[in-house]
Amino acid sequence: MAASAISVDGARFSYGEREVLKGITFEVAPGEVLGFLGPNGAGKSTTIRMLTGQLRPSAGSVRLFGRDVVRARSEVMGRVGVSFEEKNLYPSMTGEENLRFFARLYGVPHADVRALLEHVGLETRRRDLVAGYSKGMRQRLMIARALVHDPDVLLLDEPTDGLDPVSAQAVRDVIRARVESGNAVLLTTHDMHEADELSHRVAFINEGEIYALDTPEKLKLAHGRRSVKVRLRDGDGVREETVELDGEAAGARIAELMASGEVITIHTAEATLEEVFIRMTGRGLA
Amino acid sequence: MTTRRTREFFARGAPTREPSRAGIVGAIVAKDLLTFSRDKLWMVLTPVALVFIVTMFYLMPPRVDETLVIGVHPPAMAAALRLAMGVGDDQVALTVVPFEDEAAMAAAVAGDVPEGAPRPLIGVSLPIDLLLRARLGQSTTARVYVDAAVPNEVRGAMTTAVREVAATAAGAPLPVAWSADEFVVLGTDRAGAQIPLRERMRPMLAFMVLITESLALAGLVAVEVSQRTATALLATPARTVDVLLAKGIVGTLLAFSQALLVLVVTRAFGPGWGVLLLATLLGAMLMAAIGMLTGAAGKDFIGTLFYGMVFLIVLMVPAIAQLFPGSAAPWIQALPSYGLVEAMTGSSVYGLGFGDLAGHLATAAVWTAVLFGLGWWVLGRKLVTL
Repeated sequence: MAASAISVDGARFSYGEREVLKGITFEVAPGEVLGFLGPNGAGKSTTIRMLTGQLRPSAGSVRLFGRDVVRARSEVMGRVGVSFEEKNLYPSMTGEENLRFFARLYGVPHADVRALLEHVGLETRRRDLVAGYSKGMRQRLMIARALVHDPDVLLLDEPTDGLDPVSAQAVRDVIRARVESGNAVLLTTHDMHEADELSHRVAFINEGEIYALDTPEKLKLAHGRRSVKVRLRDGDGVREETVELDGEAAGARIAELMASGEVITIHTAEATLEEVFIRMTGRGLA
Repeated sequence: MTTRRTREFFARGAPTREPSRAGIVGAIVAKDLLTFSRDKLWMVLTPVALVFIVTMFYLMPPRVDETLVIGVHPPAMAAALRLAMGVGDDQVALTVVPFEDEAAMAAAVAGDVPEGAPRPLIGVSLPIDLLLRARLGQSTTARVYVDAAVPNEVRGAMTTAVREVAATAAGAPLPVAWSADEFVVLGTDRAGAQIPLRERMRPMLAFMVLITESLALAGLVAVEVSQRTATALLATPARTVDVLLAKGIVGTLLAFSQALLVLVVTRAFGPGWGVLLLATLLGAMLMAAIGMLTGAAGKDFIGTLFYGMVFLIVLMVPAIAQLFPGSAAPWIQALPSYGLVEAMTGSSVYGLGFGDLAGHLATAAVWTAVLFGLGWWVLGRKLVTL
């Protein structure tokens, strides 16, 4: 694996007496997406704010490109693109003006913002005030803003939250394209399907602790239950039966059902990341 | 969505160059001015406030009418009263209007005068046999009518003047003689050249503009905080100090430019223009500090307005006190805006320079630095804890 673009080692952070991060450790390599999964209040956004240098860890280290984020904030932030959960754009400015402003902050005043707007499907609305944008358009503009300086690292906090399927897919396509070009991406989400689809590895975070960090496949295999769902004719109706594959009698039961001649369909039923998360942490993602 | 153009964008990368601190601050300032210019509330309120303030100035009379009109009845006593009060025919500061009828004089003092005729503020009704009784050493009475607005000291002066008429008539010369040489005026003699109210209003008018723009900055800051755009700014190479500096510049720029406009339009710049310019700049910085403080405290327009008014009413007190010379309580001198107002008044009204107003300017500079530091710290804390 290449040298880590993001490296967090034993980071802790407290809001007053309440410790919201309890020594988390993870790394993200270039060209990799790490899905950061957890319910609201788990510590995902706090982690993002530490990675942008806005919060200083009380213990441990947070590094980007091998450099301490707090000490070298100005230098490293020029190579990081961030999309926040809040759509914190300037509503009284146009989409193009928003991008040009941030381009100046990143020291790229001549960036081809129109190409970016085209990339996220907003080229025709570039002169409209953001106040008139839909939620999906704002989210796409947030992604464009994160890319305006062609960063090496992307920190994306719930990038598809509340979007319609078409807009969500458009955002996912942009993320995939950036990963192919070598970006390291930290993706915080509580959409398990999205995490499964985009992430090379996922970290389960709950109450400030990382419970598990591995590829989605390994997590599902290690902590989920494998089964098949069989739909059968039952007189005039239909019934469904689930056969656990990890049981000793699984093979015999499936053979028995197939021999009955009543099988209509048979589907594998893998554990979902959400089921694994619930099993490991004892709580859901809402 | 990936086109040739976007492929090229990512293939060549953004044309990076290290952002300079000045470049970052300049970008935030330009952005703030753009968003300010698109805020319909301020785009209406600012010109309305400017026009209102300038109109108020020019509606005030440009000169102070120092003429005191006194009615006297019967007309035969007018000459004696003139003599007693030392009024020559060529003097306009005091006009004695004779009345044939006491009731007509009383009505005139109450405001019932023919158009174009002078209205007496005081009417003195003397008995027709005053001089005779005075010579015989007999006591008599006189009646004085005064308009409700006539101050007590003028009423007292009239009583004294009537007694003086009687004493002179009785052949008892007054023991003290006045001559022009012995009447010593300390300081600039403003007799015949009083400072009109509108001149003394200038610091208050300038403060009204500064306050308006302080609220505008507070609004910009509050929006930046409540919409969390400040968080987005601080996830770029921009540092907290860059954002604070930009806010300070925007607030000072907005307040200074508009206060300057009002001062120019009201022809405030005279011999003490340098002091006035510096005092206005300090005032603009003071108001920018208040804008940062209230913007950090208030969550929306109403919130910033509430917190802003708490500060601004207090800061207005010295400017209001300028309208009533001699009325200011000593504690007013402890207010942060006192030095500023004194410097503005001294330079714009009396044409004083740096030598005369150095103390007030120094006080104003210290207060501005203290409040600017406080605003900087409070807003800085707010930004990093968003």
